[in-house]
Amino acid sequence: MIQLIWDGLFVGSFYALIALGYSMVYGIIKLLNFAHGDIYMLGAFIGFAVLTSVGGIPASLSIGALLVVMLVSMLLTGTAGVLIERLAYRPLRGAPRLAVLITAVGVSFSLEYGISALAGPNPRAFPIRLEGNVFVLLGARISLPQIILMLIAAMLMVLLNFYVEKTSTGRAMRAISLDRNASLLMGINVNQVISRTFFIGSALAGAAGVMAGAYYGKIDFLMGFIIGLKAFTAAVIGGIGNIKGAMLGGLVLGFVEAFGAEWFGGQWRDVFAFAVLILFLTLRPTGILGQRVTERV
Amino acid sequence: MKFGKRGSILLCIATAVLLTTSACSGGLLGGGGNGGDSTGDSGPIKLGMVIPISGSSAPTGAYMKNGAQLAVDEINKAGGVLGRQLELDVEDEACDAQQSVAGANKAVSNGVVISVGGYCSGATLPEIPIFQKANIPMIIPAANSQDLVNQGAKNVFMINGTGKQQSTAALAFIKKQKFATVALVDDNTSYSKDINTETKSQIEADGAVKVVLSTSVTAGESDYSSVVRDIMGAKPALVYWTGYYQEGGLIINQLKNAGFAGQIMVADGSVDPSLAQIAGAGADGVYATMTQTPDTLKGAEDWIASYKKAFNSDPGPYSTQSYDAVRLAAEAIKQAKSTDGAAIITALEAIDGFQMFSGPLKFTAEHTLSSGGFVILVIKDGKFSLEDDLS
Repeated sequence: MIQLIWDGLFVGSFYALIALGYSMVYGIIKLLNFAHGDIYMLGAFIGFAVLTSVGGIPASLSIGALLVVMLVSMLLTGTAGVLIERLAYRPLRGAPRLAVLITAVGVSFSLEYGISALAGPNPRAFPIRLEGNVFVLLGARISLPQIILMLIAAMLMVLLNFYVEKTSTGRAMRAISLDRNASLLMGINVNQVISRTFFIGSALAGAAGVMAGAYYGKIDFLMGFIIGLKAFTAAVIGGIGNIKGAMLGGLVLGFVEAFGAEWFGGQWRDVFAFAVLILFLTLRPTGILGQRVTERV
Repeated sequence: MKFGKRGSILLCIATAVLLTTSACSGGLLGGGGNGGDSTGDSGPIKLGMVIPISGSSAPTGAYMKNGAQLAVDEINKAGGVLGRQLELDVEDEACDAQQSVAGANKAVSNGVVISVGGYCSGATLPEIPIFQKANIPMIIPAANSQDLVNQGAKNVFMINGTGKQQSTAALAFIKKQKFATVALVDDNTSYSKDINTETKSQIEADGAVKVVLSTSVTAGESDYSSVVRDIMGAKPALVYWTGYYQEGGLIINQLKNAGFAGQIMVADGSVDPSLAQIAGAGADGVYATMTQTPDTLKGAEDWIASYKKAFNSDPGPYSTQSYDAVRLAAEAIKQAKSTDGAAIITALEAIDGFQMFSGPLKFTAEHTLSSGGFVILVIKDGKFSLEDDLS
């Protein structure tokens, strides 16, 4: 039981990190950015490229190296997110939402098969492998890397929350999500704020990509597809467009998967997860936090 | 199949467009390539090879292509077949049913007279009706699901051991090592599910060993904690993973991290150098059921040397089978004295004692090997080596 909760929390914190980007972008320009899962993949490959170009890294330094690589990867995926928005989404800002959605699918393909062409279609073993001491707490097996990764995820989310709640850019983001035209009239540089939103969302996904590479040890060019869908599910569960909702939705989805797999058998895990998505879409499309918190980002 | 639902749909459209154009040009310009070939044209005899060139199984596809190319070069140097040169026509299957259909159609319109490809069973299965309709025999070097021969297509010949024979080998090893309880895990693909159910029914019929868990996972994910929990709960002495190496490596790693104390065995789809890389330190001591590879074969040194000379790399899984598939195809065409599909099929059925890496060949009534030739490998220092030849 405790093991189930722990596993659910761990997987859920990955989902939450990626769901945040989905939710922020949706909140501010009402776009389902289906390329978001591939930004996660891009982050993992950037981490891979940086680590292999540096060469061998002693195991004792792997946590420090991981943090540095994560920052580099976050910067680059963030920039990639800004570029994607500038090149693919901004020219279509006045277009029907379906057109932008299809563009997002196109961007997703371009990223997947672009990386496949550049780095090859074969899966790669990640150069750093986080393997640490395992200890048993209340009957659950917990490893040090799991705790470190969850702390990093939690820290990033706290920082993000602070940024959105307390800074002027955060206020601008919230204002744009309420009414873009009014914000423009109030002198907010809307394009710049949207670019920043893309930067932050993509950077979080890039961080998650590096973390997944280091923890699971394998990366490939399609790794973002399923997790992108799951993050979307998490965002819907929590209430899409809502930052706290995305965090909550990620954790809830982690639990749903863990308990679903326990009750119905491992092969039913994904069936159960996506059945929950359908249930939410029909019964409560605004998600858990969708109505209570009216302010959206 | 695995990840690219969206991708498959678009690819389908794209390949459909390509196919119509290439099929048309074949019909208009080729003047019926097949008919011309079988009347003793002096052009090269084309061998079709639909194998994974892209996607997660691409490394094995490269080994297969090289093995086949080596045989083609040797035969051509020795004067070819029926006075004509052989030519390999490699098409991509990407381990995906839609892509393999496109690849097979392309091979047919290119005028191949025999197919020597087939790695992923789930992708090879839909190729059968295409080649059958075109009267083209298939010598399948690697794919080995029982489903391939269960349909009873006359043109299908398998020179790899079947899922059934692999399960028999697995059971023999399990009993030899006295594992009392076994957990079977597959990835829901045709090949993998086939070995899982076959092993389960053989173990239950035998009665000496108990199956404590039989389950499936979804391929293409990273987190397999749910199946790891199931396995830890069932406490088997041996876990038998029957899927491919990507997920296999992740599951081995996650099982070891969870403190799993039992042994792990994988089926031949997981026998790939990347398995140990992905699995990390926990890979040592993992067993595998596998047909003979060049490294484990006695007397293959000369062959390995000529492979290295030709391709500047070591041979890998299914290099030998692909090499043998081409040699067998050449032999059958020679015996049939024609490139007509029906004549080649008759010649293949009549072959008795043709020397291959897996031993002298004679097909059973259902067009499979009479003995699978499966052995048990073990990972030592990240490399597969022979553990037990089960003789």
